[in-house]
Amino acid sequence: MPRLSNPLRTSIVAKLVLGYGLLGIASIVAVSAVFYSGTIGVIDQNIDGKIMSQTERLLDNVNGDSAEALKAEVHRLLTDGVDNDREIFELLDADGTAVAGNLGSWPSVADAPDLVTSTVLRYGRSAPARLYLRPLVQGGVLIVGRDLSEEEAVRAVIWRALLAGACVSLMLTIAGAMLFRRSIEARLGEIRRTAAQIEAGDLSPRIPVTGNDEFALLNRDINRMLDRIELLMDGIRNVSNAIAHDLRTPLSRIRSRLDDALRHDITVPRLSTAAHDAIDDIDNLIRLFERLLQIAEAESGMRARLFERLDLGRVVADIGEMYEAIAEDSNITLTVDAPASLYVDGDRNLLASAVASLLDNAIKYAGPGSVIHVRAGLYEGQAAISVHDNGPGIPDGEREKVTQRFYRVDKSRHMPGNGLGLSIVSATAKAHDGDLVLEDGAPGLVARIVLPLAVI
Amino acid sequence: MRVRCLVIEDEAETSNYICKGLREAGYVVTAAANGPDGLDFATSEDWDIIILDRMLPGRIDGLSIVDKLRALGKQTPVIIVSALTTIDARVTGLRGGADDYLSKPFAFSELLARVEALLRRSAPGADSTQLQVADLRLDLRTLRVTRGNKVITLQPREYRLLEYLMRNENQVVTRTMLLESVWDYHFDPQTNVIDVQISRLRAKVDKDFPVMLIHTLRGVGYRMGVTPPDEVEPPLA
Repeated sequence: MPRLSNPLRTSIVAKLVLGYGLLGIASIVAVSAVFYSGTIGVIDQNIDGKIMSQTERLLDNVNGDSAEALKAEVHRLLTDGVDNDREIFELLDADGTAVAGNLGSWPSVADAPDLVTSTVLRYGRSAPARLYLRPLVQGGVLIVGRDLSEEEAVRAVIWRALLAGACVSLMLTIAGAMLFRRSIEARLGEIRRTAAQIEAGDLSPRIPVTGNDEFALLNRDINRMLDRIELLMDGIRNVSNAIAHDLRTPLSRIRSRLDDALRHDITVPRLSTAAHDAIDDIDNLIRLFERLLQIAEAESGMRARLFERLDLGRVVADIGEMYEAIAEDSNITLTVDAPASLYVDGDRNLLASAVASLLDNAIKYAGPGSVIHVRAGLYEGQAAISVHDNGPGIPDGEREKVTQRFYRVDKSRHMPGNGLGLSIVSATAKAHDGDLVLEDGAPGLVARIVLPLAVI
Repeated sequence: MRVRCLVIEDEAETSNYICKGLREAGYVVTAAANGPDGLDFATSEDWDIIILDRMLPGRIDGLSIVDKLRALGKQTPVIIVSALTTIDARVTGLRGGADDYLSKPFAFSELLARVEALLRRSAPGADSTQLQVADLRLDLRTLRVTRGNKVITLQPREYRLLEYLMRNENQVVTRTMLLESVWDYHFDPQTNVIDVQISRLRAKVDKDFPVMLIHTLRGVGYRMGVTPPDEVEPPLA
């Protein structure tokens, strides 16, 4: 089996796997981002809001703009025992010198008012902090903030969790992709192996059908197609054999006749007779060819576009009438029961030819003295033509085979014919989406062509 | 005036076969061996009938010649002879504007019979109400058929068969032509249904009369007329 030359770039499996892998990673990133902004983001916002409101409350609590009162309030807040381990207060005077507070260092206050995140010294310890720098009316800046050590710890935990989760998901995605790839390739491999065997000339292998998934459906379709191809190939093989055999006989007869006419005393009547006989024989051969061609044409199923709405009852009545005289001459009772207005879509010449073939057969095989009923009508919801004779019929085991090309029932080998009649009828019926059914007529044979009714 | 035929056929032997036969039948025949020549001849002159092969060398095939001819408003009768014998090919040929379609290989007598039938069809015929061959009369209005003084009763199909034969008096009609014209079907019956129908008709029309009117031509078909067939059998090429 040939393999893909550049699997990563051309393989549809690789592309699918890569695509779904990337999609998996993208969704992990998206989930993480939502989760992160939903936790840390919300915490950050809360902190900012809290700092701002705390600042305004502080300033409101102090009566007047006195620096002393402010200093006292900051001091009070730092020692009130509420949330003291996290809150930050620092009061700077107009020169930037610390007046009161718990910070050892602070960022530049030039841009005040401003919300900044910065590392500060708090009680001599370095800590991350969120700070609100609030300029004061009387000069100086009030810094209100919050120690973020705890939040940072939470943030670190969340980051670690997300990272671990992402790693596990990535590994699962990769593993899943590989599994997916392997299973797809295994399923494709079944098909490709069967295809390779068939390419090598063995038409019998079929793709194993497991489960009920899309591949099972596809495999079933391919198997059905292979069945059909095998059947057609068999048909062609049979036909070639049959042609080789059936054409050789008449051809050698023509040849020997002409040869004979030329070798012995050459007279005009003798040559003329030989030429006439040869033309008759060749005409028969041409007819045989035409009929083979007709089967091929019907079987190829390419004719539906030429179909027209037609009255099957009318066709059966016409052909029945055409054969009445010949039946009467053979001392056969032929009854035709074909009411009009039985509409189907089809080719009237092909259908007429099929009815004529069935009548030919019935007359030929049922023989003098027999009774033949021809009917057109509804049968199990479909349009049907049936020809029922009370002749010898066809033995049970052979009814299936008589529709094969060139097949002839042993008893009838001495009769004139080429063994194509019923194959043509069968092919014609199938070309019309119908079927030829042969049944035991008890006695005799019922040949029934069943066709779908025209949709009005 | 003699009948002018145009034969467009690329295969030399078939072309000779057709031309020779038509000349022997008394026609003036011109042959073209490819599509472009055929188209030139067909459109630049007036012909009584054109016989053309469907598959021709030179990019222009038989069907497109018929197409051009019909587009120019010329109603010249056209017979297609073709090795494409499927019903599909036949139907497209006839729908494409040809008047008749004959599969190769064919017997010359079949071609000649069809040529003559087409020529008669396109000839302006007197719209009579009665057909007559010798003492056989068919009244088209009353559907009464008489021979001499005797009234002949016919089934509807026998009546149509007789009418067709009488309209083609002294001309050869083949079994296929009868099946197509009288029964309006085109297929190849395996048994001699047409022969049996003819012999029924003959029993009613010719039996008990000294002169035979319906004659059988071996391997060709039938002819209605007073003259026996031996004297008028078309020459075989």
